[in-house]
Amino acid sequence: MGRYLLQKLLSLVPVLLGISLAAFVLGAVSLGNPAELALSQGGYTPTREQVAAMERQLGLDASYPVQYLRWVGRALRGDLGESYSSRRPVAQELGRRLPVTLKLAAGAMALACGGGLLLGCLSALFRGRWPDHLIRAVVNVQLSVPGFWLALLLILLFAETLQWLPTSGNGGMRHMILPAVVLSTASMATAARLTRSALLAELGKQYCTAAAARGIRRWRLVVRNALPNAAAPVLALLGNSLGGMLGGSVIVESVFALPGIGSYALEAIGNRDYPALQGYVLLTGVTYVGITVLVDLASLLLDPKVRLEGRRL
Amino acid sequence: MRASSKKRRILALVLALVLALAATACGGQQPSDPAPEQTPENQTAPEQTSAVDPDAEIVLAGYRNLAPGEKDGYYCSKILYVWEPLITQDDTAAPQPCLAESWEMSEDGTQWTFALRQGVKFHDGTDFNADAVIANFDRMGMEVKSSSFYPLDINTHYPNLEKYEKLDDYTIQLTFSQPAPTQLYNMVNFGSAIYSPGCFDENGDFNGICAGTGPFRITENVLDEYVLLERFDDYWGEPAKAKTIRVKVIPDEETRFAALKSGEILGVIDLRAIPAALAVELEGSDGFAVTTTKSTMIYFLTLNGTEFPFNDVRMRQAVSLALQRKVITDSLYYGFGTPTTNILNYSTPFYKEFPVEEDLAKAKELAQEVLGDERVTVTYLYQGDAAAQKAESELIASWLGEIGIDCDLQPMEYANMKELMKAADYGISRMQQGLSNSEPATIFRRFMLTDGDQNQNYSLGYQSDEVDALMEQAAAALDMDERTACYDRIQEISTQEFPVIPLYNDQTLMAYSTKLTGYEAKLYGIELPLVGWAQ
Repeated sequence: MGRYLLQKLLSLVPVLLGISLAAFVLGAVSLGNPAELALSQGGYTPTREQVAAMERQLGLDASYPVQYLRWVGRALRGDLGESYSSRRPVAQELGRRLPVTLKLAAGAMALACGGGLLLGCLSALFRGRWPDHLIRAVVNVQLSVPGFWLALLLILLFAETLQWLPTSGNGGMRHMILPAVVLSTASMATAARLTRSALLAELGKQYCTAAAARGIRRWRLVVRNALPNAAAPVLALLGNSLGGMLGGSVIVESVFALPGIGSYALEAIGNRDYPALQGYVLLTGVTYVGITVLVDLASLLLDPKVRLEGRRL
Repeated sequence: MRASSKKRRILALVLALVLALAATACGGQQPSDPAPEQTPENQTAPEQTSAVDPDAEIVLAGYRNLAPGEKDGYYCSKILYVWEPLITQDDTAAPQPCLAESWEMSEDGTQWTFALRQGVKFHDGTDFNADAVIANFDRMGMEVKSSSFYPLDINTHYPNLEKYEKLDDYTIQLTFSQPAPTQLYNMVNFGSAIYSPGCFDENGDFNGICAGTGPFRITENVLDEYVLLERFDDYWGEPAKAKTIRVKVIPDEETRFAALKSGEILGVIDLRAIPAALAVELEGSDGFAVTTTKSTMIYFLTLNGTEFPFNDVRMRQAVSLALQRKVITDSLYYGFGTPTTNILNYSTPFYKEFPVEEDLAKAKELAQEVLGDERVTVTYLYQGDAAAQKAESELIASWLGEIGIDCDLQPMEYANMKELMKAADYGISRMQQGLSNSEPATIFRRFMLTDGDQNQNYSLGYQSDEVDALMEQAAAALDMDERTACYDRIQEISTQEFPVIPLYNDQTLMAYSTKLTGYEAKLYGIELPLVGWAQ
């Protein structure tokens, strides 16, 4: 177990280095002189002298490896530079916005988990009958509908027409319902599909047949016996989709006017604000890796096969 | 027996699910739910017959932060009426007194003396006087402050300024190295914003919420969410009608529209407040109105004039002649736009009207003189996130196809477009330009002088000895008529030599609920102090 954990953590080092390198290269290879970009926000045209001074200030006169090492050094101390457009420290901005995105992602994850497992269980329970067909049809729709379109439809229905929920903005639970539903839709559908197929695979196994033969009711068999065994792959999938949710929040946050890190990235793209984008890439990359590790650890607890690394019982 | 009990259980499960979903949906309506904003509707709508509380909060929305905060050179936009300038403008963009009550120019045009308004207080309680104005000039002189509105640059607003000084507590004097008869136009609004000296740190950055002299003060500013304005009771002029106004940030135009329709917000403000298509839809519905006026924004095509074929003036003329501008404004922008060939926006008093010439036969003739019997392919850049620009570029490409120009349409992100334009790696690009003040020299200088920044940034390759000479003559001219004559001629040249190909002048378009009064579009935003509840 300890060795497994150590191996996992060691394998993270090259991944994290890769992420930091990707984030740095993003700024280094992008079009335009960063010093000029930093100065020309808001329509101002800087003079050559101003650009040269800014280049020195940003340390752009050093070679790329030196710049990278300096950047990593600063990033490790929590300094991700200053945004070109807002002139605020990027780390501070990300810190201010991260809770909004996390709240959104948590809501979406809860919906994806609950909805996905419920739909998957119902679908498996009624395999081949109309509830199964209905759920599969719903799942297909969920997977095919583009997020921004669904968002607009839900706003039209629940906010504009029925006026049950607010159209947008950051606030209490009510403000999070529509964004979380939109963000969770695709993950919920994938989770439902995977739950269904994993459950059906489990139900075909001998222990289930034996249990059914002993007269255990089918729903009990599904929920109490098969589901825990089928949960591991679903958990892994949901863990991965949490990363996707962080990325997918770019559109959702923009439509629902939520000031999270996704809308920050979108603004940064519009302003060619590379320090902000680098910070975003670094943060989401590291978060994604962190989540993967947590999912691995959870699998470790759920599934003895992982714990034993293939060794015989 | 077993089968029916199973069915019952399943039925119960499904019912429980439905109930749970219903509870979630209804939960939102319960009054105990902590709603952070009490919309005016919630506060005042128990009975339609009861009078509206005039002090209830009015909620509006725009697409961006109208108060970007401490790091912005201006802290917030002029349209929030938090800070005031020395000089403002009327509906025809002519300079009007604001914090400067009157002014006088010396005979040689190099000195301007301003008499400041007395009895004015900043929101932080300090007095407005000459010392405060001087402190603001000191701040402007420190460095160029970036802003999401216009750069705060002393050289743009006060070209050739030699010194600024206090003559007495309520008089200041500006001295220029060259005659500056149109200096007032440079100083309008963003050109002479005044804040309490107490709100700057040693670098000239704001150290908290800015304190201006305007009819509203900011009481809360939550970036990317909202800014809360409150009526300033010690305001020197007519007090604002509304007690509090909350301006939300809703970046997505469809969401903004839905929020307006649902009553969550009562009006949209700022640039891009509402797209023409949605405004037309709203005009037909009860309870909403649309207000419109001239905008300071002009839309145009830039051509890469550093390379063949647009380095030839005949080709630029051909492009302009081939365009059917009225078709663009009518079919794509629902008539909210005025076709033009003049580089100068129509909101400045110096604007001169020229007929918009369309002549495909002449365009073909001119293009053939340049291209011969060959065709040329050029890249045409436009903003990918602007839906109307796609249709517009397809229309324009079809017309240009008739004069031998094949367009390779490339939707792109705005910043990338500018990068390619600077590198002269493009053929045609769709751009826009706003007026930071009504002094047209700013636009002529940027686009038509050989070393003008936009001329360089957009690789326009425009060079005209006559324009250079006219600009020098205008700069030295004391007589306004002489200066106006120079400006007229430069505009005329712009319609003949086309440093850029103007398409149309924009219209400010804003929508609001008829629960409000005084919601009237102005050259720059709305007059917020006049907005109040309709009785």
